[in-house]
Amino acid sequence: MGFPGLYPGMRVRVRSERAVDAAANRIDAAAVKLMLSRGIRELTGASNDHDAWSHFISPSDTVGIKVNCSGAPEINSNPELVSAIIDSLIALGVPANRIYIYDRFDNQLRIVNFGPKVAAGVKILGAESSRGSILGYDPYTYVEADFFGEEDTRSNLIRLVSDTLTKVINVPTMKEHRAAGVTGCLKNIAYGDFSNVARSHQREKSNTYSFIGTLASVEPLRSRTVLNVMDGLRSLWQGGPFLQSPKFLFFPKQIVLGTDPVALDHLLIDMIEAKRKQEGAPSLFDRSPEHLKRGPELNPQFNSFIREPGHVEYASTLGLGIFDKARVKDKVIEL
Amino acid sequence: MSILLAALFLLASPQSGVDRITVAAADADVAGLSKAMTPKVTFRRNEASATRAPWVDSNGWRYLRQPDGHFYCDAPGAAAAALAAGEAFAYDVHVAIHTDDAGSASLAKMLAFLRTVKGDDFSPLVNIGFVDDGSAEAGEFMNLLVRRNLLFRVVKQADPTLDLTVVPGSAEYSKAEAANPSLLAEKVRSNLTDAKRLLRLYGSEVVVGRLVGHGGDARLYLINYGAARSPAHGVRVRVLGAFSKQEAAQFDAPETKLIDVSVDSKTTEFTLPELKTFAIINLAK
Repeated sequence: MGFPGLYPGMRVRVRSERAVDAAANRIDAAAVKLMLSRGIRELTGASNDHDAWSHFISPSDTVGIKVNCSGAPEINSNPELVSAIIDSLIALGVPANRIYIYDRFDNQLRIVNFGPKVAAGVKILGAESSRGSILGYDPYTYVEADFFGEEDTRSNLIRLVSDTLTKVINVPTMKEHRAAGVTGCLKNIAYGDFSNVARSHQREKSNTYSFIGTLASVEPLRSRTVLNVMDGLRSLWQGGPFLQSPKFLFFPKQIVLGTDPVALDHLLIDMIEAKRKQEGAPSLFDRSPEHLKRGPELNPQFNSFIREPGHVEYASTLGLGIFDKARVKDKVIEL
Repeated sequence: MSILLAALFLLASPQSGVDRITVAAADADVAGLSKAMTPKVTFRRNEASATRAPWVDSNGWRYLRQPDGHFYCDAPGAAAAALAAGEAFAYDVHVAIHTDDAGSASLAKMLAFLRTVKGDDFSPLVNIGFVDDGSAEAGEFMNLLVRRNLLFRVVKQADPTLDLTVVPGSAEYSKAEAANPSLLAEKVRSNLTDAKRLLRLYGSEVVVGRLVGHGGDARLYLINYGAARSPAHGVRVRVLGAFSKQEAAQFDAPETKLIDVSVDSKTTEFTLPELKTFAIINLAK
């Protein structure tokens, strides 16, 4: 297993109008649970949830759920979705104390506060209990690259992934990212599982084009990540990964499931591109200097970085998934 | 207070190197001493700079430029006082440290710690020579080399026993580029190559190392210039050379143990889980 996994090129998009009350900015947990159930069955072809989840996880596994909390509290992996995944794992026979919700930064996890919102006994772990600490990372598993002459040229894998977890479920948010273009499956599993990655951006230049795919290819992360559940209940079309203004928030009210991160992220690019076009903003692929301006990205005509959405196609060249739309199979479900 | 600290100085072992650190009274005559900076880190978030790295105020380059010099360091506060002593010890220079009430207890503890360190017959381990013309530009160049843990000594001319000799003003390190010492230091690193670096530190931008050796053994001093702000939570160290034995001692942290040690035929790596202010790692074959 591992990228591109059991179902290369397959994307299951499940949308429900009931999933989010946009006016109140509130998630309907029951609707999300139904979306997940339908999505996992459609992906696997199984007739029930137990059989569907058995394609990826066994009761003996120790499972990590890689969330994205970088935009917390406004835009992050929603606890309602994470809770539904956890309930499915527990129903399958995975004990709660062998399920981890994890991310790089402990302070961001605390903002989301998953604890009271998920089954008791689930462990919540931030690799960096204090910013910059390297102790939560595996000193033996790293990518070494010198981007801008920085002194520390290593990015190390989270120790939990290499030492403890046997499976990882990737739960990114679907949003624009001012350096990478979008932050979906690939960026969440890459930049979200390795230390010292901010060094890849400097001034307007970002090395996300090749670094994201390179990190996502590292074993054992690649082999252990068996499923992606993209959280598109809320989304951002400008200024990501943080909500810099409420005007950039929108509500696709969907989740997208698949094992192929490239295929899923291609869909994310299309979604953000369509929204930006609707809002009159430049394309994610725009590289013109006149649209570069340092500072908060409050005007969608400007960005601090040259975005690198090409990182998704590049990742396909590393064998991580299928980018070619002609080879991608979509299942779209409206609940 | 200065009397008490002076007494500590007098008790110091002549073999420990502490005798090169004195404690200056508040009204001490510092004329004739070279001024050293207060060792610390300055975070300049709102200023444009060539890099995003915090600004480390290290005296390493001054001490390397004048190894027989006599310095005066104003080091108010507990962290700065301890740092000033640790720094002077690591570079084995004469420094008169002036501190305040907050720093005096810390300084006394640091001097007590340093007195326990055995052995004074270590020599600097370097593989870069630097031809110092005494200029301010050369000083800043050396400062950047120290900060990047590019280990050098001052030489009068190219030394064939070293891997690299840096001559400021030469075609490779031209005067035209002197305004950007960070770029020059990056050139040195590139010309030496990371594979040949005697010391690499990962996980902190504010820790500086000083490597010394005796026979086949080595000793590493680690100085956390950000001590006033916070400990370094994990410093990964890579030293060129295979050292099967590693032993750590740390000021203000008596139970320091190294973790994740790995030794191969060419390099030794380990992690110091927490570096508060100053640590000494003894490495033996």
